[in-house]
Amino acid sequence: MNKTQKQRVKMLQNMIGFFRASLNPWVIRVKFKENPERVAFILHRVSGAIIAFYLLAHIIVTSYTDDPLAWERILNTLSSPWNKVGEWILATAIIYHGLNGIRLLLVEFFGVGIGRPELPKPPYIPPSFKGGQRKALYAVFILSIIGSILSAVLIFTGKLPI
Amino acid sequence: MVKESTWSIIQYITAILLILFLGFHLIERIPGLSPLQAATYEESLEYEKVSRAYDSYGWVLATLLVIGLFHGLNGLRGMLLEWKPEARTVINIVILVVFIVFAFVGFTTIYNHLAG
Amino acid sequence: MLEAEELEAAKRTPPKEVILKVKRYNPETGKQYIKEYKILTYRGMTILDALNYIKENIDPTLTTRYSCRMGVCGSCGMIINGKPRLACQTQVAAVATEENPVITVEPLYNIPVIRDLVTDFTPFFEKHKMIMPYIMRKNPKEVDEAEYEFLMSPEEHLEIYEYSLCIMCGLCYSACPVTASDPEYLGPQALAQAYRYIADVRDEEPEKRIVVVDTEHGCHRCHFAGTCSAVCPKMVDPAAAIQRLRKITLFYRLGLWRKKKTSRVAGPLEKPLRKIEAQYPTHNLVEGADPEKQAKEPVSIDFTDEMLSE
Ligand code: HEM
Ligand code: HEM
Ligand code: SF4
Ligand code: SF4
Ligand code: FES
Repeated sequence: MNKTQKQRVKMLQNMIGFFRASLNPWVIRVKFKENPERVAFILHRVSGAIIAFYLLAHIIVTSYTDDPLAWERILNTLSSPWNKVGEWILATAIIYHGLNGIRLLLVEFFGVGIGRPELPKPPYIPPSFKGGQRKALYAVFILSIIGSILSAVLIFTGKLPI
Repeated sequence: MVKESTWSIIQYITAILLILFLGFHLIERIPGLSPLQAATYEESLEYEKVSRAYDSYGWVLATLLVIGLFHGLNGLRGMLLEWKPEARTVINIVILVVFIVFAFVGFTTIYNHLAG
Repeated sequence: MLEAEELEAAKRTPPKEVILKVKRYNPETGKQYIKEYKILTYRGMTILDALNYIKENIDPTLTTRYSCRMGVCGSCGMIINGKPRLACQTQVAAVATEENPVITVEPLYNIPVIRDLVTDFTPFFEKHKMIMPYIMRKNPKEVDEAEYEFLMSPEEHLEIYEYSLCIMCGLCYSACPVTASDPEYLGPQALAQAYRYIADVRDEEPEKRIVVVDTEHGCHRCHFAGTCSAVCPKMVDPAAAIQRLRKITLFYRLGLWRKKKTSRVAGPLEKPLRKIEAQYPTHNLVEGADPEKQAKEPVSIDFTDEMLSE
């Protein structure tokens, strides 16, 4: 191919892009029950980012704790209902990220829960989807919902009904 | 050059530690379980409880600060590397600077509590 | 992986008429546009058949790439109804219904498009080359001037067999959320192959590959989203391979991993070969199938009138 020809042929990059890939679980239209791991990944990423940015703000806010009056002022400005909603979202994010993080630790660091290589047989389900991590994932989803409800009760009523 | 697997190993180790330390930090807010004996969620945030937390669990907060910052920022770094792979050096430097600045602010707070 | 419902649907007759919405790209103008084609179907028609039908009878400018049309060469990968699939392995009946006879066809994502549905696999193959996809020995003569094969037990073969089925179709690469924004990421295919050679008992240089995958754009960028395994047409399960590879790299860095066993060259036969009766296959069978019985039965196919009229 000579140079002029090369210039005429423009290739299309056709990339999905960072934000679509990390926010939209349906860019690749695989059914949820065929690939819940992708939804889990997106939630893990979003919750991780939420907590990380919260931590940065948190460090600034807690730097006022050494002065009782300043801390009182901060607590007053941060006591609106919307802040409570924010705290509840944060608590949910931490619970999900932590539980799913344990699952990812086991899979990615210790390599467990993804089955053993096997001879492909109908109905052709990959071993990593038959392994323990799939069950763990559903447990993570369920426990996160329970944890989220409990944290809502704690944050909005101040107490847990035990 | 630090190998990527080294960062990854620290990412996973800090994750394990975060389960313990962040778990403790959040249990402080739960009435009945709170080591600060807070009767409600709001009470755990009051000045008296907070300053007691710094006095008795200063080392927990200091550890939480470092591992939380490392884990969170290294996670953000991974995302940024995917987003703009060509800006690798800039990303690494920015993340390092943010880490140092926020660790400094956090440690100053803890130091002020212990000192005064 | 083929979804169970689609497997069921593939056995049905497709709707009489389907509409193919093909995303086309013209490299001269640099424009991407969607073109609709209405075609009549027949039982057993694949998407590749449909595209070829369009090319032969409706629009000869439509460009596709294929060669084996039987799911072996890996050149016909495209996005069909939003999911990466092999066009030759996808039945029209599996993706179109009477109620919704529209099928969208797009070129693979994350791989540069040359024209219409033809994508440029150069970067993909480059990455495959980077992980050195061949057996390496401490003594290269054992491979280059090989007189005898390397020993490998059936169990050791099973460890890597699944991964060796890869046809390099790029479906996993197109589905992965990391390749979606990082063009330098090695991708599920190359990483799975890196594991396949590291785990291979005949290979003696796993460290060389660990160096290649242990970068900012290597195996640590994977997040176990698992979509690669969900779309792979050959059940290669790259997601599992990458997690094992990652475990190896991490433990290797901690000084806790080293290749347990490498096999030796077989050498000349010690005893003359034994004669073994041929056996009917015992694995890989459809539930309830008995090959021995089937071999004895004469083959007869009953055509109904309806089938013959089609
Ligand atoms: C509670 C215990 C926690 C555990 C067990 C945990 C576990 C993990 C693991 C295993 C990963 C790697 C995921 C992957 O490879 O995709 C990860 C990523 C991440 N974590 Fe955590 N984590 C915890 C707490 C936190 C906290 C407190 C923060 C914020 C300060 C955080 C922020 C992040 C971020 C931003 C990522 C990157 C996500 C991505 O790239 O998609 N995590 N976490
Ligand atoms: C509902 C969520 C949270 C609440 C209400 C909360 C509240 C507080 C309070 C009141 C303090 C002062 C010390 C104490 O009482 O222990 C504190 C300190 C601290 N928190 Fe949190 N926290 C929350 C979540 C988090 C998270 C997710 C992290 C992330 C890893 C975190 C990291 C820290 C750190 C590092 C300090 C010490 C900061 C310093 O002294 O500079 N907290 N937090
Ligand atoms: S791993 Fe599967 S999807 Fe990926 S290139 Fe190989 S055969 Fe295709
Ligand atoms: S498991 Fe890893 S390689 Fe496979 S699709 Fe997910 S992120 Fe990509
Ligand atoms: S044409 Fe060869 S895999 Fe489809």
